[in-house]
Amino acid sequence: MEPIISLKNVHKNYGEKQVLTGIDLTIYPGQVIGYIGPNGAGKSTTVKILCGLISDFEGEVMVNGMDIRTNALAIKQKIGYIPELAELYDVLTPIEFLTFMADLYGIDLNIAQERMTKMLSAFGLENSMYQRMDTFSKGMRQKVLIISGLLHNPDIIILDEPLSGLDANSVIIVKELISKLAKEGKTIFYSSHMMDVVEKVSDRIVLINNGKVIADGSFEELKQQLGDQSLEKIFSQLTHTEGSGNESDRMMDAFN
Amino acid sequence: MNILDKFLLMLILLPSRFYETMGVDTKQLKAILVAKLTIGNRTPSGFRGFKSAKAAKPSKFQSVGKAIAAIFMGFLFVFALFIGVDYVTKLTFYFSFYIFFLASMLVADFTTVLFDVRDNAIILPKPVNDRTFVMARLLHIILFVAKVVIPLTLISNIWIAYVTGFWGLLVFIALIVLATLFTIFLINAVYILVLKITTPQRFKNIISYFQIVFAITIYGAYQLIPRLVDTSFVTQLSLADSYWAMLAPPYWFGGAWEYLHLLNGNIKFLFCLLLAVTIPFISIYVVIKFFAPSFNQKLAMIGNTAEDVPVLKTHKSAKANKKTYSEWLSRLLVKPGAERMAFLHTWKMTARSRDFKMVIYPSLGYLLVYAVLIFMRKGNSANESFFPDPNSFIYIFIVYICNFVLITVLSQLKVSDQYKAAWIYYAAPIEKPGSIILGAVKSILAKFYLPVAFVLTGSAYLFLGTSALPNFILGICNQLLIILIITYISFHSLPFSVPAAQKGKGSNFIKSLFSMLIPITIALLHYAIRTYWPIVLLLTLLSGIAIWMMLDSIKNKEWSSIK
Repeated sequence: MEPIISLKNVHKNYGEKQVLTGIDLTIYPGQVIGYIGPNGAGKSTTVKILCGLISDFEGEVMVNGMDIRTNALAIKQKIGYIPELAELYDVLTPIEFLTFMADLYGIDLNIAQERMTKMLSAFGLENSMYQRMDTFSKGMRQKVLIISGLLHNPDIIILDEPLSGLDANSVIIVKELISKLAKEGKTIFYSSHMMDVVEKVSDRIVLINNGKVIADGSFEELKQQLGDQSLEKIFSQLTHTEGSGNESDRMMDAFN
Repeated sequence: MNILDKFLLMLILLPSRFYETMGVDTKQLKAILVAKLTIGNRTPSGFRGFKSAKAAKPSKFQSVGKAIAAIFMGFLFVFALFIGVDYVTKLTFYFSFYIFFLASMLVADFTTVLFDVRDNAIILPKPVNDRTFVMARLLHIILFVAKVVIPLTLISNIWIAYVTGFWGLLVFIALIVLATLFTIFLINAVYILVLKITTPQRFKNIISYFQIVFAITIYGAYQLIPRLVDTSFVTQLSLADSYWAMLAPPYWFGGAWEYLHLLNGNIKFLFCLLLAVTIPFISIYVVIKFFAPSFNQKLAMIGNTAEDVPVLKTHKSAKANKKTYSEWLSRLLVKPGAERMAFLHTWKMTARSRDFKMVIYPSLGYLLVYAVLIFMRKGNSANESFFPDPNSFIYIFIVYICNFVLITVLSQLKVSDQYKAAWIYYAAPIEKPGSIILGAVKSILAKFYLPVAFVLTGSAYLFLGTSALPNFILGICNQLLIILIITYISFHSLPFSVPAAQKGKGSNFIKSLFSMLIPITIALLHYAIRTYWPIVLLLTLLSGIAIWMMLDSIKNKEWSSIK
């Protein structure tokens, strides 16, 4: 099978600071990738490269058989990007914002109108459709963002911490949604540091640290390689520089 | 979208075919512009005054409101047309005002409206090509500027047409367009310069200082210009024969108009015309060609702080032990515990919070304008010594006018963007919230009033002698008393615990009017008794006792009085 996303030896630095130091990754259609790593490991930078937001990297990135440097537009059409932190124009109403998104993707307005109404209702936002989003909670904004990423029915869905601020019920909806989208053959790239969700939704986990892939495989495979333990334990085992468990002891010592 | 926007949008999208040949997706272009205009209409701008910027619920008619405000501002420019004897002079002043005003206004709004950093996360991941994006930005700038410039120049256009006829108006409009281009270049130059010498993070701070200076200048201009126009010096002024004036860009536009309108064959004005036409285009070209690429990237970084790793500053341990001025003061003025905590916290917050400065600095500036006005009036009436006798109303006035600033500071003391952080007051075991309020109020008094009081009494002693002191001291005591009374009556929140949006609600207008009336009344009473020394001394004593009692009452405020 042809890979849908492939990164070869991708490097990226901001000035002196090396963020990505040679990422190699091949992703096949229908996979749900859990992309995890500690803060500053390079998760967001990878996501931004995949979405065509950063073009001054070294190495090769192919999406759907096309080079992202030369075919950025065609690739962007296939990708649905759901950014972290509720980045949206919050003085618009959800309908206005989503109509704007639909226009940018060139979706027929009638189709878009119907889709966004259905999606907003599914998330329980039917009563707030015509309200400006500046009054919305973080979770409500995040829901609108999720819809804006799915509206054009993309083949690849890239999520960057999509669950931040969502309430428990919405988290369940999003988790189920992810597995249903995967069943439809869509590829999902899920970047997060919430281990419990990643463990449940993804069928392949990619762990990066200091700009490099340090573990790659299904949760079962990782457990076989590193001992039968939770993803959290595996994570801290692989990314920790000092012996873990020490910090909490030192905290307690401060009282004495 | 209102009619004005729809009309302008239709106009600007007329050459759609032409845009398409450049590789622009006109459907996306329209979508972006519609979204941007809608956002622009709903975003409060720096133009409407800083205090209301956050509080005002952006209304449907905001665009119309802005236009009316701009027409009103434009009215001021007409005064420029009365300066000097000839049109070169008149228009030089006109274009000076115009360029200054437009530049300040655009600086206030440009970054937030036009270089919205959210674009990076929202529009760039979408299949929008670069040309469409750049074109959308360019057209948005044109629309944005047009919406300001058209109403701003409306009255002057009518006036010019009335006085000089159709041809004069036509030339004038063409020059306005050129001057606008030139102003856009100026702003870009300022931005580039600022970004060169500072980090994008501090850029926002610098922009807010621009806004403050802008607000003060506009206020000052409104107060001063109409007064200046009357003087004979101003009406007799002529720059027509000055060669030095060539160095000032507004002069080019004035000279160009003179040349084209009167077809005045003066070689100097021909040269002005050349400069007025070529310089704007050359400078815009330079900006687009050489500066814009890196400029946009840098601007994008303003919002991109998440990528930045915080720079760790290594503090020397010696420095940590050193007492700062505020700590030293706190030892003198407040009791340890909650009061001291509030004192130091307020001291730091007022020094570091941008919102706080945005409200306070303009009111300090207005005070400065008043001071200038007072001395101007003095300058006009000849045969008086520079320092009138110590019992003049002016001194009482000077002492009491500081109160307005203090009242503004006090009203801002409750407000913070991070109002939620005030949970700490509720979580901590504090018996009476009065001690926190007292500490905070003492802090602003010590910070904003103590230096003023010293300077006032010091200069009164130096310039007027000891006889002036009792009145000054009574005035200062009364200041403190007034602030404490207002605090006691109207301060029902903990410091920095109210969101800015809530401040402007309800009966606040009446309240602030009332707050202003107190110092005015007391000032008048003080003026009436100023020459009766025993009464002044007695009142000073009473004022002192009252201060002491108020301090105690504020300190004993209960939790039940906190809203």
